[in-house]
Amino acid sequence: MDLDTDVPMEDVSDDHSETYQGGAKIDASKSKPSELTGDSVNQLDQWIEKLANCEPLSEQDVKRLCDMAVDVLQFEENVQPVQVPVTICGDVHGQFHDLMELFKIGGPCPDTNYLFMGDYVDRGYYSVETVSFLVCMKVRYPNRITILRGNHESRQITQVYGFYDECLRKYGSANVWKVFTDLFDYFPITALVDNKIFCLHGGLSPMIETIDQVRELNRIQEVPHEGPMCDLLWSDPDDRGGWGISPRGAGFTFGQDISEQFNHTNDLSLIARAHQLVMEGYSWSHQQSVVTIFSAPNYCYRCGNQAAIMEVDEMHNRQFLQYDPSIRPGEPTVTRKTPDYFL
Amino acid sequence: MENFNDDLYPLALLMDELKHDDVSNRVQAMQKVDTIAMALGPERTINELLPFLNDVAQDDEEEVFAVLATKLGDFIPLIGGHQNCEPLIQILLHLAPIEEPIVRDKAIASLNNISTELTNEEVFEIFLPIIRDLSQGNWFSKRIASCGLYKSVVVRVEAPVRQELLALFLKLVTDDGPMVRRSAATNLPAIINKLTDFTGIDANDPNKVTNKDWEIISQMFQSLINDDQDSVKFLSIDVLISILEYFQKIQDQSHNSDFLVNSLKLMSDESWRVRYTAADRFNRIAENFGNEEAKLTKLIEPFISLMKDNEGEVRKAIAKQLPAFCKSLNKYEALKPTILNKILPVVNELSQDPQENVRSSLALNITELSSILSKQSTIDKLLPIFLNMLKDEFPDVRLNIISNLSIVNETIGINLLTTSLLPAITELAQDSKWRVRLAIIEYIPKLADQLGEEFFNKELLTLCLSWLWDSVYAIREASVKNLRKITEIFGSAWADKYIIDKLVSIKNNTHSSTLNNNDNNDDTIHDDNDNDEINIDFASFIIRITCVFALNELIPVLDHQIITEKVLPFLNDLIDDKVPNIRFNLATSYLRISETLAGKQGDSPVIEQNVLKNLDILVNDNDSDVRYFASKSIDSIKELLAV
Repeated sequence: MDLDTDVPMEDVSDDHSETYQGGAKIDASKSKPSELTGDSVNQLDQWIEKLANCEPLSEQDVKRLCDMAVDVLQFEENVQPVQVPVTICGDVHGQFHDLMELFKIGGPCPDTNYLFMGDYVDRGYYSVETVSFLVCMKVRYPNRITILRGNHESRQITQVYGFYDECLRKYGSANVWKVFTDLFDYFPITALVDNKIFCLHGGLSPMIETIDQVRELNRIQEVPHEGPMCDLLWSDPDDRGGWGISPRGAGFTFGQDISEQFNHTNDLSLIARAHQLVMEGYSWSHQQSVVTIFSAPNYCYRCGNQAAIMEVDEMHNRQFLQYDPSIRPGEPTVTRKTPDYFL
Repeated sequence: MENFNDDLYPLALLMDELKHDDVSNRVQAMQKVDTIAMALGPERTINELLPFLNDVAQDDEEEVFAVLATKLGDFIPLIGGHQNCEPLIQILLHLAPIEEPIVRDKAIASLNNISTELTNEEVFEIFLPIIRDLSQGNWFSKRIASCGLYKSVVVRVEAPVRQELLALFLKLVTDDGPMVRRSAATNLPAIINKLTDFTGIDANDPNKVTNKDWEIISQMFQSLINDDQDSVKFLSIDVLISILEYFQKIQDQSHNSDFLVNSLKLMSDESWRVRYTAADRFNRIAENFGNEEAKLTKLIEPFISLMKDNEGEVRKAIAKQLPAFCKSLNKYEALKPTILNKILPVVNELSQDPQENVRSSLALNITELSSILSKQSTIDKLLPIFLNMLKDEFPDVRLNIISNLSIVNETIGINLLTTSLLPAITELAQDSKWRVRLAIIEYIPKLADQLGEEFFNKELLTLCLSWLWDSVYAIREASVKNLRKITEIFGSAWADKYIIDKLVSIKNNTHSSTLNNNDNNDDTIHDDNDNDEINIDFASFIIRITCVFALNELIPVLDHQIITEKVLPFLNDLIDDKVPNIRFNLATSYLRISETLAGKQGDSPVIEQNVLKNLDILVNDNDSDVRYFASKSIDSIKELLAV
C-alpha cells in the first residue's frame, strides 16, 4: 500500500554504489564518534528548544546538524545493541504534535530511553521539524535514543509522499531534503534490545537467517529495490505460512513458521516492528512472536486509529501505552456530533 | 546598475522587485517599503517614493495592495509629519474603494490611523470632503468604505457639521444595498461610543450632543431593527447596547420603556442569528435595566425561552449568561423565588441537553449559581445537577464542573461538598482519559487547602500517592508536583510522615520474579488502591526514577534534617544503580540538595563530605550523560560554596 507502482524506481545500484563506498571508507580513520564539546552541547540544546516549539532550523543549521549526526551514526552497527529499560516506538510520519504527545506519555528524553523504528517523514505536515528534532536528540544523547531507518527514509519514497515537497515549501529549495536523505543512508537498519528483542522497521528476509548476516550487510546506501536490506525495511508478517509476495511491490510477507524459526535460531523472545497501521496502536501476530507498533495517532489526520508505544523494563516486562492525538489549541475538536436535522 | 549612485539604489531595487513577475516577490518587496522610506528620508519619500506607490496602487494584484494599505498607515513620521499627508491619503483613496474587503479594510484602518495624527482643521478640510464623496459614491464599495471613516471625525467637528454627517450616515443605514447597510450597522456602535465618550467632558460645550443628534440615530436604529435581512438586523443588538450605555451615562431613563420593547422584540426574533446575538449579549442588555424591578421582571420570560430555544447555538450562548442574570434578579426579594421556581427547572433540562457543547458551556459557570442561592437550595437543587454533570459522558463537561467547584465550597462548606463529591472525584481520578485524571490532580491542592490535614489524610492521601505510579508520564509528573504543593500547605513534618517515609520504604519492595503478562491494555491506572503495594516494585526502573523525581521535587520544601537523614541516604544507595538514567538524575538531585542546604550554616560539611564525594564517583562514570550531568552539578556546587 505504500509503494505506488506508477513511480519508476531508478536503478539504485548503478547510480550510487561508488559514492556510498566512498562514504563507508570514512570509518577506517576513527572507531568511535568524537565526544561533544561544550559549545556543541549548548548549540544542540538551543536547537532542541527551538524545535520543541515546532520551529524549523535554518538551512545552514540543518547542514551543521547533519554533519554532526553523520559522525555519530556512521559508527553505529547494522544491528545496533540497545540496553533495557527502553521505550520502543513505531511510525511517526511528520505528526510533530503527536510526537510531543508521545513524550508526555512515555516521559521526556533523556530521562526515558527511546528506540524509534523508522518512518519519521512523509504524510504529516511537519516532517522537517519531526526528523530535525529526533536527529538533534540523537546527536545530543547518542546513548539515550536510537533511531532506525524506515522505508520512508529514502530518496525515492520522500519524493512521492511529501517530505521533498515540504522541504521545498519551507526552505525554497531541495537542499535540506538532499542533506537529510544523504544522512538517512547512515541510519542503522535494525536494533537488538538486550539480545532478546529484534527491532526493525519492516520484517524478515528470505536471505537472512541469522542476525549475524544482517551485520555483514553494507547499509550505507539508498534503500535498494530488492535484497536483504530492502526486505528488512519493507516486509510484513502474514497469516499465511512461509514466504509470500508482498502487495507493496517490495519486501515479502512471512508466516508464523518463519518468525518462530528466526526467533529460535537467534535466541530471541520477540520481533518488534512498525510499518503497518494498526487501529489499537499495537498488534500481536504469530502467537506473540511478532508485535507491530504504530505511533502516529489518527494517521494522516483522518484514520481515527490510536497510537501506542511499548515500554520494556529491566526484567523484560512489557507494557503498552496507548494514546490519542494531541489536543492542539485553536483547532476545532472533531467530536462534535452530527446536528439533529441530519438524522 | 552602475548608473545608480548609492542613494538611489534602494528605490531602484524596490522598483525592480515590484516589477517582478512572481506576485509573492512583489508582496515581499512591499513588506520592506517602510525601510526604504526610512533610508530615503522624508523629502525624497514624498517626491520619489509616493508618486511611484501611487502608480502601483492603481496597477497590481490585491495581495500587494493589502500590504501597501497596511504599511501606509504608519507613514506619517516617514514623510516628515502630518502637514504632508495629502499625497499619502491620495494613495489610500485608490485602495479604499476596492471591492476586495481585505484591501478595503486595511486602507480604512490606515486612513483612520492617519486621522489621529491630523489637527481638527486638517480633518475638516481633508477628511470631510473624502467622507462626503465616498458616502455618495455611485459604486457600492465606495459607500461601504465610507462607513468605516465616520468614527474618526464625528466628534472632531462642530455640532451642525456633525449632524450633517449623521444625516449622511442615515442614508447609508437605509441604503439599497444590504452590504452597505451591513457595513453601516457594523460601524454604528463605534460612532455612538465616540459620542458617549465625548459627552460629559464639558457640559457647557456648544458642540455637546443634543436631541437633534439622537433623532437621527433613533431613525437609524428603527431602520435597522426592522431590516428585512437578518444579516443586518442582528447587528442592531450591538447598536442597542451602545445606545443604552449612552443613556446610562447621562442617567436618562426616560426612554427605557421603548428600549425594553425593542430588546424583547429582538430576543424573540424569528431569525436564530438575531436570537443568538441577543442571547450572547443578554446581560449587557439586561444590566441597563438592573435598577428597575418591573423591567427586569419582563426579561425573565424571554430568558427562559432562549434557554429552551430550538437552536443549540442559542442555548449554548444563553447558558453562559445564567449566573450574571440570576445575580441581577437576586437583588430583589420578590424575584428570588423566580430563580428557584422558574429558572432552575430549565437549568436542569439544559444540563441534560442532547448537544454536548451546550452542556459544556453550561458547566463552565453553572457553579457560580451556588453563591447566589441559599445553602439549602444549593444542596437541594444545584448539587444534584452538578453530580449528574460530573458523570457526563463528554469529558469537557466533567472538567468544567471540577475546575470551578471551589466556588461551591464557599456556600455549602467543604464537608458536605466532599461527602457528595468524593465518590465522583474518585471515579474521575481513574478515568481512562489521562487528561481527565490530570485535571483532577491539578484541583487537589485547592481541595487540600480547604479540607484541612485530617480530612485530606483520610480521604485523599492514598489517591494522591497512587497517581505516582500511573502508567502515563504526564500524570506521574503532575502527581510529583502535586505532592510538593500539598507539602507547601501542610508543612515538612507532614510530608516526612506521610510521603517521605513511604517513598523511602519502597526500596524494600522487590518482587523481581513477576513476569507481568504483557497482553493487557495498560492505559488504565491501578484500579485497586488496597493492592497498591503489590504493584510497586522497586526493581522496576519507572518506580525507581519516579521516587527520584518525587524526592527531587520535594527537596526545596523539606526541613534540612529530613534531607540529610532520609533523602540523602536513599539517593546515595542508588549511586551504583545499573541504569544510567537513574545515575544522572541523582547528579541533578545532589545539586538540588546543595542549593537547599547551602544557605544554612554548618551544612557545608554535608555537601563536601557526602554530596561532592558521590558526585566525584559519578563524574568518572562510564556513561557520558552521567559524566555530563555530574560535572555540571559539581561546577554549580563549587560556585555555590564559593559565595
